[in-house]
Amino acid sequence: MSDATQTELANANPLPVRARVWNRFAGIFWLSPTGAIGLFIILFFALLAIFSAWLIPHDPIAAYTDKVLHPPSAEFWFGTDGNGMDVFSRVIYGAKFGFGIAIPAVILSLVIGIPVGLIAGYRGGLLDEVLMRFVDGLRVFPSIILALAVVAATGQSLLNVILVLGFLDSPVFARVVRAEVLGLRSSNFVESAVAAGNPTWRILFVHLLPNAIQGAMAQTAVRAAWAVRISATLAFLGVGIQAPTPEWGAMIRQGAEYMVSGQWWVALYPGLALILLVFGLNLFGDGLQDLMDPRRRSAK
Amino acid sequence: MTQPVLKIRNLSKRFPVGGGRVVHAVNCVDLSIMPGETLGMVGESGSGKSTLGRVILRLLEPSEGSIEFDGQDITQLPKGQIRRLRRDMQMVFQDPWSALNPRMRIRDLIAEPIKLHVDLSRSERDDRTEDLARRVNLGSTYLNRYPANLSGGQLQRACIARAIATDPKLIVLDEPTSSLDLSVRAGILELLAEIREETKAAMLFISHDLGTVRMISDRIAVLYLGEVVEQGQTEALFETPAHPYTQALLSAHLPADPAFKVSRLVLEGEVPSPIALPTGCKFHTRCPVAIARCAREVPQAIQVPSGQQAGCLRIPNGGNIIERKEDV
Amino acid sequence: MTLLKVEDLHTHFISRDLDNQICIAKALNGVSFSLEAGRVLGIVGETGAGKSLTAQSIVGLLRPPAKIVAGSVRFEGRELTDMPDAELNRIRGNNIAMVVQNPRTSLDPLTRVGDQLVRLHQIHSGGPKTASHKRALEMMEAVGLPDPESRAKSWPHELSGGMAQRVLLAMALMNSPKLLIADEPTTGLDVTVQAQILDLLRSLVARFDMATLIITHDLGVVAHFCNDIAVMFGGSIVETGSVRDVFAAPAHPYTRDLIAATPERFQMGRAKALGGQPPDLYNLPSGCVLQSRCAYATELCQTTVRNAEVAEGHFALCHYAGRLEEQPAVKINA
Repeated sequence: MSDATQTELANANPLPVRARVWNRFAGIFWLSPTGAIGLFIILFFALLAIFSAWLIPHDPIAAYTDKVLHPPSAEFWFGTDGNGMDVFSRVIYGAKFGFGIAIPAVILSLVIGIPVGLIAGYRGGLLDEVLMRFVDGLRVFPSIILALAVVAATGQSLLNVILVLGFLDSPVFARVVRAEVLGLRSSNFVESAVAAGNPTWRILFVHLLPNAIQGAMAQTAVRAAWAVRISATLAFLGVGIQAPTPEWGAMIRQGAEYMVSGQWWVALYPGLALILLVFGLNLFGDGLQDLMDPRRRSAK
Repeated sequence: MTQPVLKIRNLSKRFPVGGGRVVHAVNCVDLSIMPGETLGMVGESGSGKSTLGRVILRLLEPSEGSIEFDGQDITQLPKGQIRRLRRDMQMVFQDPWSALNPRMRIRDLIAEPIKLHVDLSRSERDDRTEDLARRVNLGSTYLNRYPANLSGGQLQRACIARAIATDPKLIVLDEPTSSLDLSVRAGILELLAEIREETKAAMLFISHDLGTVRMISDRIAVLYLGEVVEQGQTEALFETPAHPYTQALLSAHLPADPAFKVSRLVLEGEVPSPIALPTGCKFHTRCPVAIARCAREVPQAIQVPSGQQAGCLRIPNGGNIIERKEDV
Repeated sequence: MTLLKVEDLHTHFISRDLDNQICIAKALNGVSFSLEAGRVLGIVGETGAGKSLTAQSIVGLLRPPAKIVAGSVRFEGRELTDMPDAELNRIRGNNIAMVVQNPRTSLDPLTRVGDQLVRLHQIHSGGPKTASHKRALEMMEAVGLPDPESRAKSWPHELSGGMAQRVLLAMALMNSPKLLIADEPTTGLDVTVQAQILDLLRSLVARFDMATLIITHDLGVVAHFCNDIAVMFGGSIVETGSVRDVFAAPAHPYTRDLIAATPERFQMGRAKALGGQPPDLYNLPSGCVLQSRCAYATELCQTTVRNAEVAEGHFALCHYAGRLEEQPAVKINA
């Protein structure tokens, strides 16, 4: 009732678009200040990734062989690495890899995990047991070791990293969706859909999916943080993306060698960027869960 | 002679609850509903009335007995064929707030059964949907809204529109008014009565509220622990209830009028667990007129002079009538 | 002295939406009534009329975003609305007891029922434990629990719905409250069990001389178990008086509708005149809250309404209270 009137009121005297966008943002900030900070950080990195071509002062893979391992200076703000490449440009360019891996990997996880969760939750019984034990099997393995093995075995390319991360993380979404479906399966509207004569596929994808997907969507930011972290770890371990690609994990790997000899800047800046983006994604992820869960929202 | 739209024989439904125990939700029920007739099914919680409604529509699988719908035995019919049959048997649920998919617009919810069962073009379907909304007095502005933006009464109207969309022969209504406010309830009941006149659909009206059932039913069946203890024409059953449980149930009803003197007979104890059913007559543990025989012998339904059928061993000698004490 | 006196109570829900706009739902708008010892007052109304909220406001159990914004609640002459929590807690357990709907969820599942009763008595009355235990058994006996000794040892999950409701009643009686508030005490119970609980409640009220507030949507319960009735609509009490007077001659159009909609009075074919939208609490009209769905409404109804006394002790919040029939013909909802 109140919702309807609210929208009617809003339609009756429309605010200018800019004011409405601002109000919505202020609303989110009010309800979840940390989530808003996370969103700021993510947007910051997204802008870096999108506009990196205009932002970088140097080509990220141009080696200034005469200026190897220069400390930060006016010319090279974050210094240069062991190949004489500009760390500042490489850190900015690295944002592209962060998003370029995390977004497709999370989408792949959703595409695999959601149908599995839907079917397992609705059908129950043996199918559910089999699917869920498989999913558990994937989860008990330390994901980093599994990822390491699979990427090493399937060939070291960006695409493989994405496929492996997407597949390995799909159980998270399958579990969340299954849990939701278990709760919804016996709910009245599903029973009413059966009574109206809906075939099973319609029950799954028309009736259950839109109601079961919220928890999974709220997880996406946190899982993107995981993908960023794991892909960087893989690169750090020398699997997947290789130097001199300007990927943060690969850069940290290279920089680690110089830490002991005092050239701290090579590893520090990509490390900071990585921490900040993962931190931002996690903050936003928590905020997202708060905003999407009306119970948590009203508790504020 | 016209044949009944629904005829169930010896129908039982049992649920295993672990530990080898079994809930006997419905026990050997015989019922039939004629076309256009409304059968009211009354019982307290645990009487199995909702389970019975769902078994009849094959939303739950029967454990025993047979269900004949429109002359066809549907007890063993495979799922796919049942799905096609749903065009002719629909259901309205108790709680309209949860019976509609919250992510679908009212328009799509009402149109869904048509989409599933009737081959119509999109515009024909839209016209039909608007007709249905008008029929149930739901303003067309509500069609484009989501369930969360409607009140309980409006939602129940949408549910009814959905149930009558394919002109079914039988509608099972599971407590369709009990979660609604009093003034809204009256409107829904009236709508159901009108729809019954127009569509000649048979209705199974499940409720715990005697006042409501009395208003809408031609015939009434009283359920206790999954068994029909008494059934008959509405007025006969209300005027001269034969089974002691029916008498107690009727007297427990509080009329909303202080001037109305009630003479109540308050039953002792509560409904026994359907896991461990009492022997003999299932009501004997609470029955004020029970005799030793009631614990041993299962009573058969017999016809009483006022016309209804009741299953009580004490009917033949007139011992079934409970004496009432005046209310203070 | 009046035991409970509620005056001009306003409770609002104040929250912010996703667009950072402040939304105020005016859930209670000037609720006033009083209750003497030994009387049973029934509050009836539809969902959202503010029945339960009235009870919660009285005992200070409101949670944000609900907030009392104006008015007073006086219990034995002491103001409850601005009382410190600790003091209010003492009164709540001691002098005011509450029985709620869903008895099962109101018991601590990990404590035997007897121990819960004893604990409650210890917190508020102190004294030796054996005395508390004796009192617990007495109260369980009083609420008609057979074999209190062994019942006291049972766990909440072992109780049926009716038993659990009896235990809650025993709990409410432990500290001999002066005011008992029962929020839908029989909703969810079977009809035959409902009769038992209501009988019990009435005999307890007489025996312990408690003032009792029963909140219900069942007019049958009010008609047969209450002395007085207060009808709520849109956060206001629209009519109040003795049960006999109000049922015999309802003065407010809403009460008339409500009574006309009961199965006893309802005539098929009349439903269109009854019911309608509940008022939008975010956007209440000025004047009478019922105006948009009242068959008698005129332009006068858009102005502030005052309580009119139609008979001794029988009030109605309507411009035309007591003279609905002789009212002019210019109606806005015709």
